[in-house]
Amino acid sequence: MDGLTFYSGFVVPFIVGTSVLFAVIVYKYVRWFARLPRRDKLSVRRGMFSGATVAAAWECLMESLLHRRIWRVNPALGYMHTSFALGWFLLIAVGWIETVAYLGGRFVPLQGHIFFKYFTTELQHGPRWGVNFEAVMDLLLLYVLSGVALALFKRLRSRAMGMRRTTQLRMGDRVAMASLWFIFPMRLLAESFTSGIHGSGGFLTGGLGGVLATVVPAGVMPIAELGAWWGYSIALGVFFVSMPFSRYMHIFTEIPLIFLRRWGVRGEVGREKSFDHFQLEACSRCGICIDPCQMQRDGGMTGVQSVYFIRDRRYNRLSRRMADSCMACGRCEAKCPVGLELDTLRVGSRYTLNNTPSNDRWAYARGGNGRSDIAGASLPSETAQVGYFAGCMTLLSPRILRAMESVFAAAGEDVWWADREGGVCCGRPMKLAGEVDAARDMMKLNEELFRRHGITTLVTSCPICLRVFREDYSLRGIEVLHHSEYFQRLVAGGRISLKAGSERLTYHDPCELGRGCGIYDEPREVLRAVGELAEPSETREEALCCGSSIAGNAIGGVAQTLMGRAVGRAFEATGASCVVTACPLCKKALARGTELPVLDLAEVVERHLMTAADSK
Amino acid sequence: MGAVNFGYGISAARGMDLDRNDLGPAREIADEVPEFRACIACGGCTATCTAGNLTSFNFRMVHTLVRRGEYAGAYREMNKCMLCGKCRLVCPRGINTRGVVMQIKRKLGDY
Amino acid sequence: MSSKRIVVIGGGPAGMQAALSLAAGGLKPVIVERAGELGGKLKEWHRLFPSMTEANEVLTRLTGEIAEAGVEVMLHTEVEGIALGEGGAHDGAPNGVVLAEGKKLPAGAVIVASGFDIFDARQKEEYGYHVYDNVFTTVDIERMLNGDKVALSDGTAPRRIAFVHCVGSRDEKVNQRHCSKVCCITAVKQAMELRERFPEAEIYSFYMDIRMFGPGYEELYQQAQQESHINFIRGRVSEASPTIDGRIQIKAEDTLVGRPLKMSVDMVVLAVGMKAAAGNEKLAASCDGLSLAPSGFLAPRDMFTGCVSSGAAGVFYAGTATAPKTIGECIAEGAMAAQRAAEYLKSGAKR
Repeated sequence: MDGLTFYSGFVVPFIVGTSVLFAVIVYKYVRWFARLPRRDKLSVRRGMFSGATVAAAWECLMESLLHRRIWRVNPALGYMHTSFALGWFLLIAVGWIETVAYLGGRFVPLQGHIFFKYFTTELQHGPRWGVNFEAVMDLLLLYVLSGVALALFKRLRSRAMGMRRTTQLRMGDRVAMASLWFIFPMRLLAESFTSGIHGSGGFLTGGLGGVLATVVPAGVMPIAELGAWWGYSIALGVFFVSMPFSRYMHIFTEIPLIFLRRWGVRGEVGREKSFDHFQLEACSRCGICIDPCQMQRDGGMTGVQSVYFIRDRRYNRLSRRMADSCMACGRCEAKCPVGLELDTLRVGSRYTLNNTPSNDRWAYARGGNGRSDIAGASLPSETAQVGYFAGCMTLLSPRILRAMESVFAAAGEDVWWADREGGVCCGRPMKLAGEVDAARDMMKLNEELFRRHGITTLVTSCPICLRVFREDYSLRGIEVLHHSEYFQRLVAGGRISLKAGSERLTYHDPCELGRGCGIYDEPREVLRAVGELAEPSETREEALCCGSSIAGNAIGGVAQTLMGRAVGRAFEATGASCVVTACPLCKKALARGTELPVLDLAEVVERHLMTAADSK
Repeated sequence: MGAVNFGYGISAARGMDLDRNDLGPAREIADEVPEFRACIACGGCTATCTAGNLTSFNFRMVHTLVRRGEYAGAYREMNKCMLCGKCRLVCPRGINTRGVVMQIKRKLGDY
Repeated sequence: MSSKRIVVIGGGPAGMQAALSLAAGGLKPVIVERAGELGGKLKEWHRLFPSMTEANEVLTRLTGEIAEAGVEVMLHTEVEGIALGEGGAHDGAPNGVVLAEGKKLPAGAVIVASGFDIFDARQKEEYGYHVYDNVFTTVDIERMLNGDKVALSDGTAPRRIAFVHCVGSRDEKVNQRHCSKVCCITAVKQAMELRERFPEAEIYSFYMDIRMFGPGYEELYQQAQQESHINFIRGRVSEASPTIDGRIQIKAEDTLVGRPLKMSVDMVVLAVGMKAAAGNEKLAASCDGLSLAPSGFLAPRDMFTGCVSSGAAGVFYAGTATAPKTIGECIAEGAMAAQRAAEYLKSGAKR
């Protein structure tokens, strides 16, 4: 009808690139999905026809296109990501509408949409459907170009973007990144040449085209035009081919990740699984995880943060040192704009690198042969409904133990002390080190111990134990409580009363208790009852790690001390006269980092217990 | 005399021959955990050891033997460790004891 | 006259000796002491190693001489920092000290003999100081010996006593990397004193290394082993916990045997170390040229000929402000610092 053809030699790189990209992506996704365990597939089937799918679609819009979470952390970085994602998406979508607006329902091959300007010079220009498409498309192109400019600036001056460090690149990334930066300037050039020759184009391409037409000799214009279109197509083709092998794979991968997550698929703590691929390749390597990492910030350990770990694991270059160099404090995870389970991924790799068969290695703890039995608790009680598991670290903190004794006595609680004379470790340190099989066996020993004593409540002072009891133990019929939750209940239930005081206290959220188990309010409630609570600048979900995390097997004493000092300074800045925490390990670490007295919550409760004499 | 425990792999009759021992693996471990060399053999780690409370496991002795190039049995012994981390809390030299355990197990797993 | 006056910060053995030596050389020292009387920590001590000399004998000799020489003493006076400005013995050099409320005490030179702090044993929580009744420090024991009332909290005599060495010394976990030098010999001395009082008691001493560096110390150590029947066990105590019968169980490894060890005792004595004085930081910050060693003690210009000199002209050091030292060493440094200060004033007067 109009004699339009949609073929020219320069479209070949684009067609090849697109085909390769499509094939690789389909291959990857199908393979990863097929390898998901049955449980996950069932979960997907159930979730697919539920509200979760709508929620996932909405999340894709908000995150994959608008990048809301990146905006929240760093607006400049957010603008960069949005300009690429939303801008490019709109260029494609609006371009599609433009094609339809000009050509109606007629079939146009893919390259016809992409190189629309080149193939449709014979068309009547001007608005269609009341929309000046040329101006809109130019505006969008300008939007994306502003993002490209920002990206270039970021490469040169990451500090100016509010990031102390930016990520290092691999070969595939370099190729993809260079081609990506060329795509939009080439497109501008190509469309401008065409506009210059045909007197078409919007304010940007038309304007630039006009300028080009005056400076470039008329004879050279068509050659330059074709060259620019070739350049544009090659840039696209190279980008698409390199994309699945570069960090830009995140552009597509975030979408299946969001859907799978909404449908209930999760990584497995302590094991690598197929779902991890979706997480690894959904990482855009934005580097937002670097700044919150205290190992980088205070401990002088660089190059081991989550972004580097994910890169190395994705390209199968993971070293044990990289896998082990993490405190699993969860600070980066809380900030990750893609919501990756960074700690889970890291611990999973430790399993792969470090796990060895358990080989019944804890047989020695099972008693018999005249050796101690782990049931050797010092205060056996036939009647106790409440068990108390101090935890290994608490055993080195007699002030916590004494405080627990006082509180139990004040509440009239009949308590069985499960590990007073020492016991078997809860197994979480072993699990976090990657020795998951041996950890599992260790856990069984304690499970048996708790069940044998017929308790209905298990209180622990150690958040590390608490988390593993909740996440890994099967303790049906036994409610597991951290002492902070237990105290809060005792107070709320009127079983103990606390004397109010005027001391200004500050509270340190232990990682395993806060980000790990979501317990933020109970300790604060108890503290507010006895004094004034001053929060440090980074608190609750953003709380600092004490630096001595049990997961930090590759972190030396010097780094621990440096981090401890930095945390100590943060607490000193609150003007509080005392630092309170709720973890024996944090307590020891903080005591090294500050001159302020450091107390466990249990000690604070003990000091403020209302006695009969007080209540008179 | 069954009550006397000479550690592992080293009988009263056998001395250490430092002309023969290969210190390479010990050096590799120390490169990963530099404080490993800083031990003053105070025994605090062994005293507080959760596993050592239940069985004959002597972290100080095992890793000292490793530092001397005596590797036989080190892996098996270190597998008794529960990695609870108490030793790291009491170590006056600030040694990353858990790191040492993991390194010995990984480097000497074949012995 | 202020240029001939020399301020001595601290009235312990080092400060008193510095003042005495200055006075003997015809200069005018003034001792600025925070406490209500002279003597420093020597006041709290009972007998001194290795000769078992009464601490009081040394103390009264020094304070008597101070009184005799008519040395000016300012008690209950805190020093805020070194005063800077014109008017000292040398142009631009420190010219006195700043007291509370910014009051200036002008002087031609300053001798810093501000001493050390005793490590707070509560920081080693696992040893149970102030948690269990019968855990004491070596400082507590000296006080008890002075009051002639060495006993458990219920007034009874201990049957089994354990000394724990290196509490707050050689310990990264409490940021005290240095060896405090005198605690080994102090613990040996006290173990022998307790032996005298409790002939029937079993006395153990848990150590990492025994450092007997002075004349007669090794002999005392051997005497403690052989004659006083003190059992020395080479192993660091990892923790103390209460037993059901109210005693204290301690854990250590007997490293010479290679086996962990547990024992119940009635009394634990923690040989606490010397910590750099909390005021060192403020003092060092007040004057260019003064600096702290990583241990927190003031850093002398060098370890040899400049061991009582600071990096600032006219400011000298004596005693434990710079490192853990014995009383004899402190007194020797007091005299040396006085001599250096006098030379400094003289060189200024010549110009």
